[in-house]
Amino acid sequence: MLLDVQDLHIAYRDIEAVHGASFSVEEGELVSIIGANGAGKSSILNSLMGLVPPRSGIIRFRGEDISRIPSHVRARMGIRIVPERARVFPRLTVRENLRIGLYGIHEPAKEKERLAWLYELFPILEERGSQDAVTLSGGEQQQLAIARALVSDPKLLLVDEVSMGLMPKLVDQVFEVLQHLNRERGLTILLVEQNALASLEISSRCYVLETGRIQFEGASGVMRDDPRIREAYLGL
Amino acid sequence: MQLFLEQMLNGLAIGAIYALITLGLALVYGILRILHVAHAAIYTVGAYAGLAIFSSTHSLALAVIGSMLFCAFLGVLIERFVYYPLLKFPPYVPLIGSIACLLAIEELCRMVAGPYILSFPAELPFPSFTIGGIVISSTLSAVYGISAGVLLLLWIITTKTELGLAMRATSQDMAIASSMGINSHWIISVTFMIGSAVAAIAGILVGIYYNQVYPTMGAVPAYKTLALIVVGGLGSVPGAVLAAVLLGVAETLLIGYAGIPLPRDALAFIAMIAVLLWRPQGLLGGRR
Repeated sequence: MLLDVQDLHIAYRDIEAVHGASFSVEEGELVSIIGANGAGKSSILNSLMGLVPPRSGIIRFRGEDISRIPSHVRARMGIRIVPERARVFPRLTVRENLRIGLYGIHEPAKEKERLAWLYELFPILEERGSQDAVTLSGGEQQQLAIARALVSDPKLLLVDEVSMGLMPKLVDQVFEVLQHLNRERGLTILLVEQNALASLEISSRCYVLETGRIQFEGASGVMRDDPRIREAYLGL
Repeated sequence: MQLFLEQMLNGLAIGAIYALITLGLALVYGILRILHVAHAAIYTVGAYAGLAIFSSTHSLALAVIGSMLFCAFLGVLIERFVYYPLLKFPPYVPLIGSIACLLAIEELCRMVAGPYILSFPAELPFPSFTIGGIVISSTLSAVYGISAGVLLLLWIITTKTELGLAMRATSQDMAIASSMGINSHWIISVTFMIGSAVAAIAGILVGIYYNQVYPTMGAVPAYKTLALIVVGGLGSVPGAVLAAVLLGVAETLLIGYAGIPLPRDALAFIAMIAVLLWRPQGLLGGRR
């Protein structure tokens, strides 16, 4: 088990946003958590990354409880995040943003190889290398955020609402890239999304989060045909 | 004409010293978004520590290095024990803490060293030379040389090194920087070390330049540097440096040379009000 979360509670001051979520991700899986806006999806991802402290619960990564470990140590253990709305460093160049993804990693040979691979995946990033990230379009910023998370060769990629604010065509592209990374490169991905249909299509398993509680879980193919899910999340 | 040029050179020197003091403030604002008023107290301590080491060892090099280390340590103490625990409150709370630190350290200096003006009888080991009939004293050339060296070094650190990249990333989005493997609390501490060590250099330079070290020498810089980071554009280090140099020259030329009957220290605030009215983002500040 790569990631195992037990009874996670997250609260902001007195308001609890996540009431005891339990889920897990196996190595090599692409798992999605879907749910409406405000269901607590981003809170969960942020607490996995260490950006939001959980009120209680256990987060095990490769068997080790990391719930009290600071964010930068989790990053070095191989957890990386593509944050909601990309959050690239606006006044760093595209190339500098990618170098931040490599911070603390000193393997020049591997770095070159991975950068070449990422530039092949996202050619626009090489083209815009010396531009400030703030000058990129929304879709380009998402690509940069994905590349920034991938350049360190993570063991677990957390992807937060990557479809938000993107044109439908771009959403398809980005999801294709994620699927490719999972199938061809064996990258483990945990995806949280409002876009239920697209997430169910590329993920193998899915959790449905409603107001801070996990209501359903199962294989994505089965969920797609579940009438309750179809009605509530797919609008079918 | 000669008088004008001489005044210009003096103004540049004063501006360079302002720049050294303001640097730390701009760096700290850039990363924590708090007004580090106590920075001026670190500058005062820098002058005292330098003088104390110089008096006992008669080595200016030791005085500078020792004072820089001591101030770097003091800066990190303030960061860890005053600002960091207060960061979760609105920005005026760390500001109040900062003012308290400024006053407490000033009083401490007074208690330890006495309320007198001490002299700093050191010779700066820089050459004096004459260009076109204008004498550049060894003190002036020292101020130019040292501040240019410090600014160049800082520019190299922030733009060419991995540490500098991490500092810039942390100041733009601390949470995401952490999630990229950057120990942002350590980066904050390093920022305080650098700013405080530069303040120590400024304190020693001012002590020697005016041959005066006294407990409240940080009082005027405390608020003048606040005006300067606003004029430069909050969070913009190059802007703060530019504003500092311009202010040094403007003060010297307008008050000293042109004889405009204004209190010298008012100029920084006139500039600040003008900037707030017509260019609120500051000289080099971007939109936020």
